[in-house]
Amino acid sequence: MKPFVKTRLILLSLPVFLGSCLFNDYPVDEDGLLITERSECYVSSFQLVGTDYQTVVFNDKSIVLGNGIDTVACTISVKVKYGTDLRNVYPQFSLVTDAKLEPKVTGFTDFSDYKNNPPRYTVVSGNRKVRKTYTVLLEEHEYVPR
Amino acid sequence: MINKRSRFAVLCALCLVPFLLFTSCENEESTPAFQNKCIKRSLGPNVAGQEIEFVYAVAIQPGAGRLVSAQVEASIAGAPATYLEHRSYHTAVNGIETAVVVGNPCVNSGNITQVEFTADTCAAALRYFYAIPEEAKGKNLKFIFSAVASNGERVSMEMGEYRIAEMDIKLDLAVSASQCYISLEDMAVYTAAQAAAVPGKIDLVYLYRNYNVDTVVFNHAFVAPATGVVKYLPGVTLPSGVNRDTKIRNTGIKDAHLARLHQKGEAQPAIYIDDIDLREMDMSRMPNYALDIITNDGMWLETQDGIYKAYIFANNMNRGRAGGTISIKRLKIK
Repeated sequence: MKPFVKTRLILLSLPVFLGSCLFNDYPVDEDGLLITERSECYVSSFQLVGTDYQTVVFNDKSIVLGNGIDTVACTISVKVKYGTDLRNVYPQFSLVTDAKLEPKVTGFTDFSDYKNNPPRYTVVSGNRKVRKTYTVLLEEHEYVPR
Repeated sequence: MINKRSRFAVLCALCLVPFLLFTSCENEESTPAFQNKCIKRSLGPNVAGQEIEFVYAVAIQPGAGRLVSAQVEASIAGAPATYLEHRSYHTAVNGIETAVVVGNPCVNSGNITQVEFTADTCAAALRYFYAIPEEAKGKNLKFIFSAVASNGERVSMEMGEYRIAEMDIKLDLAVSASQCYISLEDMAVYTAAQAAAVPGKIDLVYLYRNYNVDTVVFNHAFVAPATGVVKYLPGVTLPSGVNRDTKIRNTGIKDAHLARLHQKGEAQPAIYIDDIDLREMDMSRMPNYALDIITNDGMWLETQDGIYKAYIFANNMNRGRAGGTISIKRLKIK
């Protein structure tokens, strides 16, 4: 084989070789997301919006770590506004870096049966080895005439 | 000493000179003495009861004559409010839009609107406001703009086609503690006595409650008069037969036709709700009430029988007391 043909073959195969090395180091999961070395696994903030994409959380409160989110008990406590239509709410989670959520939130969700069947979402860490299931504890305000 | 390459470049340049002269002369010769241009100024869907606005500009070279008349022929005669301005607009040096009277007020004759020029002018930019009639709903419209000069020349320009929406629009309906029964079929707000006469047409009840409780924000609400939502109709005694179950979906959209926020000195996004938006809005599983509606909120609605879909915009909801103003866009689906 001529020397320049050899050189070209080596150069062409180099990116393939490097690519395979990279993918071996950082594999992707079934969703095509990078699996990393991070083992942190928690929800950092949470929001619940209605059909007008405005918050339905009472007093427009921000639900964040230590203020509605309990990472030990794995709960998210949410008080919703009086009259919130819980059949059509859009939960929005912020997770620690590289983590993902199961099941995926794909749009408006029915939380109306929260008393019998509280919504549960599992956070999976970046290394996909730690799983923590969070329960969304909803509370509705009711009007009691005085 | 000039080398061969330089000589070739000079030769090429010399050859180009007559070509450039020839083409520039040709452009001058092809410029017509009498010209017209038109633009459509109004945006969004064309809805019956609203206007379509154009600007029609005509000009003739000063030596060739002066303007005699301008007219617009619509494929469907406009509503009586249709008019062609007899003032020509231009932007003054200070940036202010300035109008100059150039002719007699327009005359509408069938589907033709005409202005006769009285001023000795060779250029004018006239505005045309076509008031969309009810009979144009769901049809396509065309316009022919034309002008005649004193030398007998005529220029014309066709604009369109423009689709006229099938929806209806109603602006600035007042709601209050007594005027609180809303009919989407009639696009009207009734009192309890009036609602009792047309119970099958009442789709929505407006109410205001200030519970003065930290945990409950009710304020202005729009609630279907259905049996399942008594909880959200506190203190309301519905007239006999008023029991329709209307689906309501809150939205943050501020339709430009209804909101007209620029009139309040606010920024009005060029967002318009069209027939297709109403037709395709998914209202399944939507509730039958909307609480704490404030000024500039919006709602999608669907009547119980599915005949009408609508969008209500809260133009104004009084602060701390009952009453306000709403506007409606409505489409007959079936």
